[in-house]
Amino acid sequence: MRFFAGFRSLVSALFHRSGVEADMDEELRTHIQNRAHDLKRSGMPRAEAERVARIEFGGQERFKEEIREALGTRFLDTLLQDLHFAFRMLRNSPGFTIVAVLTLALGIGANTAIFSYVDAWVIKPLPFPQADRLMVFVSHDTKKGWTGTDITSADLLDFQQHNTSFEQTAAWASWNFNLTGDGPPAFVSGGRISWNFFETLGVKPIAGRTFVQDDDKSGAPRVAILNEGLWKSRYAGDPKIIGRTIRIDDESFTVVGVMPGKFQFSLMGIANLWTPLALTDKERDDRNSSWLSAFGRLKPGVTPTQAGADCAASFARLEKQYPKTNTNLTLLVSSMIEEVGKNEGAPQVLMCFWIVGLILLIACANVANLMLARASRRAKEFALRGALGASRGRLVRQLLSESLLLFFLGAVAGTLFGKWGMTWIQSAIPDRIRGYLVNYGEANLDFRTLAFTMGVALLCGLVFGLAPAFESSRLDLNGPLKEASGQASGGKRSTRLRRIFVSAEIALAVVVLISTTLLVRSFIISVGASPGFTPANLMVAALELPKTRYAESAHMRNFSDDVLARLRTLPQVVSVGAASSVPFGGFGQVVLIEAVGKPAPRPGEQLGARLTAASADYFSTMQIPLIKGRTFTSSDASGDSPSAMINQTLARQFWPNENPVGQKIKFGEQQTVCTIVGVVADVKVNQLRQRPERQMYVPFTQFPSTLLGFVVRTTGNPVAMPTAIRNEIWAVDRDQPVSAVEPMETLIVVKDTPNRVLTKMMVFFGLLATFLGAIGIYGVMSFLVSQRTHEIGIRVALGASPLQVMRMIMDQGLKLAMIGVLLGVLAALGVTRSLAFMLYGVNPRDPATFIGVTVLFAFVAVAAGYLPARRAMRVDPIVALRNE
Amino acid sequence: MTAQAQILPGNLDLLILKAVSLGPLHGYGILLRIEQISRGALLIEQGALYPALFRLVRQGLLKPSWGTSDNNRRAKFYELTAEGRKRLRQEAADWNRLAAAIASALGAQPEEV
Repeated sequence: MRFFAGFRSLVSALFHRSGVEADMDEELRTHIQNRAHDLKRSGMPRAEAERVARIEFGGQERFKEEIREALGTRFLDTLLQDLHFAFRMLRNSPGFTIVAVLTLALGIGANTAIFSYVDAWVIKPLPFPQADRLMVFVSHDTKKGWTGTDITSADLLDFQQHNTSFEQTAAWASWNFNLTGDGPPAFVSGGRISWNFFETLGVKPIAGRTFVQDDDKSGAPRVAILNEGLWKSRYAGDPKIIGRTIRIDDESFTVVGVMPGKFQFSLMGIANLWTPLALTDKERDDRNSSWLSAFGRLKPGVTPTQAGADCAASFARLEKQYPKTNTNLTLLVSSMIEEVGKNEGAPQVLMCFWIVGLILLIACANVANLMLARASRRAKEFALRGALGASRGRLVRQLLSESLLLFFLGAVAGTLFGKWGMTWIQSAIPDRIRGYLVNYGEANLDFRTLAFTMGVALLCGLVFGLAPAFESSRLDLNGPLKEASGQASGGKRSTRLRRIFVSAEIALAVVVLISTTLLVRSFIISVGASPGFTPANLMVAALELPKTRYAESAHMRNFSDDVLARLRTLPQVVSVGAASSVPFGGFGQVVLIEAVGKPAPRPGEQLGARLTAASADYFSTMQIPLIKGRTFTSSDASGDSPSAMINQTLARQFWPNENPVGQKIKFGEQQTVCTIVGVVADVKVNQLRQRPERQMYVPFTQFPSTLLGFVVRTTGNPVAMPTAIRNEIWAVDRDQPVSAVEPMETLIVVKDTPNRVLTKMMVFFGLLATFLGAIGIYGVMSFLVSQRTHEIGIRVALGASPLQVMRMIMDQGLKLAMIGVLLGVLAALGVTRSLAFMLYGVNPRDPATFIGVTVLFAFVAVAAGYLPARRAMRVDPIVALRNE
Repeated sequence: MTAQAQILPGNLDLLILKAVSLGPLHGYGILLRIEQISRGALLIEQGALYPALFRLVRQGLLKPSWGTSDNNRRAKFYELTAEGRKRLRQEAADWNRLAAAIASALGAQPEEV
């Protein structure tokens, strides 16, 4: 009851504030008038009576304050008053305000931009309802220790039958489709999915329906679902698309649904077309090939741990039932959010988040220093207010209000800057790789990001405002007031605080600059590194032959021979080659290999190698250097023992002290034996930062493949070349889709985009940290000089030369900077190891980087200290001493 | 005037409640009433009366209402609420017990120990 009464009085006081104030004034006035009236009656003259009545009453303002406090309105009152005053103070010193707000805007804005990506990539990477209930199944071999997100269809069906933990489980397999009819043939990636795939994720189509259970039966009428993008581009957004028949892999499918363009299941990669799994009876019983991926939605109340136990129990049963295939095999569950995060650059985003966090600290230390310097200039004001009765708490609150207001303004400006940063990052991501990125590489300035920005700003404002507030509100009523000159006076303590801030700030800037330099150097080294072939003037055309029409090896061989012959005749073509997969062109196959005549590896310890079937002139066209032996010739087309070529890494690992040429090697499930005829240089196939891997080549004529990449070496860079190449391919088979015909250099750049974006950001962050560090040194040095003007004046008067004065000041600044640099280098030695996963060709403790940054900061300190030192040098003793 | 005693803040509340219990009063009236009933022995800082009054109102012990004073000025009158009356009884009893205890303690003679 008491509480409610109090609350009511507070509320009514707030809403009728002017009424309450008026009442209060009137009541006090009445009291004084009554008293004066009584005094007058006792014989005092009127004027005297009024004066005495007022004196007897005491300080009206003080009692009013107490009344307000009793009413509970005082807190808000002073808050508003504080803010109002803070605003006035900031307006009165625009220079300080602008520098501080800009510094904070840079620090906070960088955090806003990066946080929006942390939010989009790490915190809520899956735009599905209750995404945290989605679990991915992971196969695990307890003996060999490997894990993989693939599972055999028979195992999955068994598990689905016995599962008690999941509402639904869905399976999928990435799949490529050839679309024909309705325009030029197109190569479309997508997936074969179980009927409840979309339902389990919780996504609805924008037109038509998703699959139903009957679609998923072997032999059911063939149906397909399109992505909105494919619907619009290939079928011109046909309003009657539902029910339309389209040709997929030379068969007719009926379109039953269209998924929203924003739908993305990044584990599947880019997907534009889906067909039902419709497992055949043979597939249903297959326990050998793990070709499906699966996930499930947990039943309400079931924890991931319980679901994991359920999976383990199911697989223990399968292990007993099918010892031949399932021994040591178990099933784990892993949160889909984590699996997506693992794949999609979440560590890079988090690393950026750390770096911008450090930058924010630098900015905050800078502003705290500015506030300290300003507060010591205001020492007189505080002493005066203290003398007039302001308590220390009141002064601290006043200073904190100023700091909070400053950080709030910084957050507002920072949000604008952050928005710009987000736009920049998004524009730096080419559209073609968006499909591979979480949430299409997009991030929003949404409520969470704004709340984060404001939260961080106010927290920093509080933390970094506290020290200066306490420091400058220690009430020394006499000191500052006695200094009639209005000289700034910083106590020893606040000077020390300032030094700590500036040293810490430089240390942080050094850590950031070393980290970013290491990353940028990695990028420069990786771009300069040779991929093992010559990418310039090289065109790539990739395609996949439909198995329906190219069932026989001879068909594939003929197709590639025909296309190669036609391409060779094109003008400006130097040479052409074909391979089952081309570096940076996607695809690729890894097989188990074994050296013949060496002790057989133990089970589970076989080594794999990337297998490429290549035409004879593939190596000369790619300009992959031949190290030993020879490349394929036309004589490799037949023969009992096929030829093979290996790369240097494989040669070094398998025949470290022997000549590999002439040795025999076994590969694949058929254990095909080949004779090695040559050794070529290592080639990078996925990214420039790739570590050397084992690679093996076999003649395309003997091992033809439906996956095909043509490489065309040209003179110059003819614009019409892609069209010409495509036309030659269609001249051989007019229904054959060609994915894209592009310069190899483009493919490499696209694959390297994340590194490019990251590197640009690192350059920016490095510059920002250095810049903020320089401002910090400059600010403190300027302040120290202004503080010592008087002392310098005396020194000059006593005969110190300008050079000596300058040295004295520079020494002071350099000492601070060097302490900071030393601390920074030590800290960097400790933390750069965690960057190792992103470095290439650079040691995390790369001496050149560490020394370079140290020297750079020495220069920055000298440059930043020079201006204030020059000012000190020019101190006129007469002016300085007249200030007394 | 005889020597006046400074009063403690808590006691001011008690005195106000007592003064108002004898009939509704405005602020200045309360001051005069306290002077009167304490026979001028207590010194009250005039302004300090008002924060105390507002506090007591907020605690629900006093009820304010605007009226007209004897000299025809608009004034705020205070009267006790039921809770205020209860509180006055309780605090007066407490005070008397304490005063008696202290008086008895101070009146102790050596032979009584």
